Amino acid sequence: MKRDHNHLQPNPDPSSSLCGGSSTGKARLWEEEAAQQDCGMDELLAVLGYKVKTSDMAEVAQKLEQLEEVMCNVQDDGISHLASETVHYNPSDLSTYLESMLSELVPPAFDPFGAAGTTAAAAATGTLVDSFLPPAESSTLTTLDFENNNRKQIFDEASCSDYDLKAIPGKAIYDSLSSSTHGNVKSEKRLKPTSESPPDIFPPPPPASSFGIPTDSIRPVILVDSQENGIRLVHALMACAEAVQQNNLNLAEALVKQIGFLAISQAGAMRKVATYFAEALARRIYRLYPKNPLDHSLSDVLHMHFYETCPYLKFAHFTANQAILEAFEGKERVHVIDFSMNQGMQWPALMQALALRPGGPPAFRLTGIGPPSHDNSDHLQEVGWKLAQLAETIHVEFEYRGFVANSLADLDASMLDLRPSEVEAVAVNSVFELHKLLARPGAIDKVFSVVKQMKPEIVTVVEQEANHNGPVFLDRFTESLHYYSTLFDSLEGSVSSQDKVMSEVYLGKQICNVVACEGADRTERHESLTQWRNRLDSAGFSPVHLGSNAFKQAGMLLALFAGGDGYGVEENNGCLMLGWHNRPLITTSAWKPANDTTASASATSTVTH
Amino acid sequence: MARSNEVNLNECKMVVPLNTWVLISNFKLAYKLLRRPDGTFNRHLAEFLDRKVPANANPVDGVFSFDVLVDRGTSLLCRIYRPATAEEPQPNVAELEKPVTAEVVPVIIFFHGGSFAHSSANSAIYDTLCQRLVGLCKAVVVSVNYRRAPENRYPCAYDDGWTALKWVNSRPWLQSQKDSKVHIYLAGDSSGGNIAHHVALRAIDSGIDVLGNILLNPMFGGQERTESEQRLDGKYFVTLRDRDWYWRAYLPEGEDRDHHACNPFGPNGRSLEGIKFPKSLVVVAGFDLIQDWQLAYVDGLKKAGQEVKLLYMEQATIGFYLLPNNNHFHTVMDEISKFVGSDC
Repeated sequence: MKRDHNHLQPNPDPSSSLCGGSSTGKARLWEEEAAQQDCGMDELLAVLGYKVKTSDMAEVAQKLEQLEEVMCNVQDDGISHLASETVHYNPSDLSTYLESMLSELVPPAFDPFGAAGTTAAAAATGTLVDSFLPPAESSTLTTLDFENNNRKQIFDEASCSDYDLKAIPGKAIYDSLSSSTHGNVKSEKRLKPTSESPPDIFPPPPPASSFGIPTDSIRPVILVDSQENGIRLVHALMACAEAVQQNNLNLAEALVKQIGFLAISQAGAMRKVATYFAEALARRIYRLYPKNPLDHSLSDVLHMHFYETCPYLKFAHFTANQAILEAFEGKERVHVIDFSMNQGMQWPALMQALALRPGGPPAFRLTGIGPPSHDNSDHLQEVGWKLAQLAETIHVEFEYRGFVANSLADLDASMLDLRPSEVEAVAVNSVFELHKLLARPGAIDKVFSVVKQMKPEIVTVVEQEANHNGPVFLDRFTESLHYYSTLFDSLEGSVSSQDKVMSEVYLGKQICNVVACEGADRTERHESLTQWRNRLDSAGFSPVHLGSNAFKQAGMLLALFAGGDGYGVEENNGCLMLGWHNRPLITTSAWKPANDTTASASATSTVTH
Repeated sequence: MARSNEVNLNECKMVVPLNTWVLISNFKLAYKLLRRPDGTFNRHLAEFLDRKVPANANPVDGVFSFDVLVDRGTSLLCRIYRPATAEEPQPNVAELEKPVTAEVVPVIIFFHGGSFAHSSANSAIYDTLCQRLVGLCKAVVVSVNYRRAPENRYPCAYDDGWTALKWVNSRPWLQSQKDSKVHIYLAGDSSGGNIAHHVALRAIDSGIDVLGNILLNPMFGGQERTESEQRLDGKYFVTLRDRDWYWRAYLPEGEDRDHHACNPFGPNGRSLEGIKFPKSLVVVAGFDLIQDWQLAYVDGLKKAGQEVKLLYMEQATIGFYLLPNNNHFHTVMDEISKFVGSDC
C-alpha cells in the first residue's frame, strides 16, 4: 500500500465523527504484513504506530475521555502508581491498552466494565494473558496477587528489590566443580539423528515462496564511520561479493586481495569486519569451506567471552527469563526445556528469582538440549551438576536432564518425560537456535509441532534481528555486512581486549557461515522479527507480550553491564529489541500455542503425550 | 487541580478529526503519567510507550533513510532522509552518502518536538513528517536526535543542534552543484522550533549560512501569564501547568521563564537588529495556548528588521501537522514548499 503525501483530500468538516483516514490517504504498512492491512485499521494512525480499527475509533475516544476524567478526579499521587508500578503492555493496541489502564484506576466496587474482576481472576490463575483474547477475558495488566503480596515495591525505582531478576555474571557459578553429584541429574540420552543427505556445495536456493514466508523489506542501516577509506572498503567488499555471485572468480580473487590492503589502512571495527568478510569471501572463492562443527570446548570458551563482553546474551537471557517468570507465576512445579543449553548461563538468575519468590520457589526441572561434543565428554552433564549445586545452596528443588542431539528436529515430545500440565508448567526456551533449523526443509515445522505437544505456558525465542536468509547471495552479503559492522562497532567500547578478541572470533565464525557456506551447512540463517512472527503465527502460536517492567529492567541491566552508551532497548508490539545506536540487533519474543486453555484454568483438560 | 476539572473535552473534539483527537489525547494522558510532580521524568516508561520506527534504506514512496552517528561522545544520532532516484532504486550501503546531483538541493535540518523531554528522531510521528518533507521540498532532511530534558538541560539540545549543523555543513556530498555549498534550512516543531531559532543564532557569527528557519508551533514562553494562556489553558490538550513543568525541566535550575532560551525577545534576550538572521516562516495554531508568545516572537523579528512570514491557522490545534487529514496541514505544507523552493 502506497502512501501519498502530496495529494490529499482535506476533510472540510473536522467535527464529523467519520473517523479514520481520509479516503485518499494511503498509508505505508507499519511493520505488519499484508495479512493485517484490511482489518479495517485506521491507516493514518497505523503509520504512526497505533492499531485502531476505524469502527472502534469512537469507542477508543470514549475510553480516553473516561481515563482523562478519572485521572483528573484523582490526586496526583493517585495516578503515580500507574506509572511506577503497573505493568504496561503493547501500547500499539490502543483499545486494549486503555481498557487495562481504566481497570487499574477504577476501584473494583465501581467498576462498570467488570474488567477489574477479570484482573483478579487472571491473577489468581497466574496466567499471562495477551491482548488477543477477547476483552471479556483479557487483562493486559497484571497487578498480581500473591499471598503476602507486596508487589508495589517491586517496580519502585528507588528500591532494589530482591525479587528483581538480577543478571548474574557467568563466572559467578563456575567455582571448582565438586565431584559429588547432587540432586537428580539424569544421564544424557543420545538421540538418533534424522537421516542426513550429503551437503550440497551450491544447491539452488529454495524459492522464498516455498516457505510461504514474505521476506522482510525494511533495511535499517546505521553509519558509524564516515571515513573515506571506510567507504572504499565497503565498495570493494560489495564489488567482490557481486563478482562471486556472478561466478566471475578471477575478478573476485583480485578484489579480495585489494580488500586485504584496504583493510589494513582502516582502524577499529571496520578493519576487523572487513577482514572477516574478506576471509569468508576467499573461502567461498577457493572453496575452502570451514570445517563444521567447531570443537566444542573452544566454542564454549568463545561463547562465554561473548557473554561477558557485551550485553547481547545477557539481554537475551534476562528478557526471556522475565517472560518465563511471569508465565510461571502461581505454578508449583515448573519445567524449562532449553534448546540452547550451552553452559547453562541463563538459569542461575532464573533459579535465584524463583528462590526469592514470595510464597517460596516451585520445584524446578530443567531439560537441557545441546549438540554432541567431540571428545565424548559429558558437557551437558557437567553443566547440570553445577546448576544442581546452585539449587542446593538456594534451596530450590531441582531436577535435570541433558539431551544430546545433532539437531533440534531429532527431538520428539515423548522423549522428554513430560508430565501433565496441571502438575507441571512448561517453558520452552530458544536463544539463537531456531534459525539453524531453516537450513533443512521441514525441520522448523517439526520442531514447532513438537513444541506444541509440550503444551508450554510460554515459548521464549531470541533471535538476531536481521534477514541473512534471503535467496540472493549479494543481498545476504550486504545485510550481514551492515549487521556485523554495527555489532563490531558496539564491541569497540568494551574494556578487556581479550574478551573483545574472543567475541570477535565468535562473531567471525558466524560471518564465515553466512558468507561461505550453503545448503545444510549454512546454519546462520537469521531472519527478522517480522519473518519469525509470520512463521510462528502460521505454525499456530500467538504472541505473549513482554511488558514495561521487562523493558525497564532490561534498560537498567544495560546501564550496569554495557560498556557503551549506545545500547538501547525498544518495544515492538510486545517484543523487546536490543540495539546499538537505534539499530535493533537482537529481539526477544514470547509465544504460546494459540487457542490454548491453560491447564490451571481448566483443570479437566487431559494431556496426552 | 481546579482548572483540570473544568476541562471541556467536547470543545477540542469538535475542531479536529476523531483520529487526530485520539492520537493527541493519548499523548496527553501518557505524558501526564511521565511527568512526576518532583520534576523528574519516567524515561523508561516514556521510551517503552513511544512508537518508534527503524530507518529504511529500501525506498518507500520514493524516500529512503539511514542513521548516522554524528558524535560518538554524546551518542548523537541523526536520521538522514533522501529522495530515491530513478537510477538508484535500491541504494546500497556504499551509496547512501552519494553526492546530491541537482543544481540546488535544500537540506533541512529538522528538530522534532516534544517539549524538550519527549520523542526522538525515530519516533513514528516524526519519521513520517520528515519523509513528507523530502518529497514536498525535494530536499534531504536531517533529523537530529538531540539530548532531552530533564536529564540534559539547557544548553544540551542547542549544543547538539549546533553539532549537527556543523556536520551537515561539512558534508561534501550535501553540496549543491550550483555553488558547492550546502543549502541549509532549520526546521522544527514545538521545542524543535525553539531549537531551530537558537541554532540559527549560533550560526550567525560562525560563517555558516542558514537560508531559512521553519518554526511550527514553536515553544516559547515567559514569566508573564498572557491572555491566550489564560483563555486556552486546558482547553485544547495543553495546560499551563504542563508548560511550566517542561520549562522547569529544560531551563537551568533556578532560572525562570524570562531566561533567553525561553523568551528570546524578553528582558534577557539578544537584540537581532542589524544581524543577518535567516528569513523565518512561523506557523501559529489558533488553539495553541502559547500563541501570544509565538506572536511576540514574530513581532520581535519584525522589529529587528528581519524577514518573517506568519501563518496563523485559526482553527488549528497543536499537532495538526502530524496527520494529513485537515486543511491546515495542506496549507502549511504548501507554504513550506514555497519557502524552501524560493531559493532555486
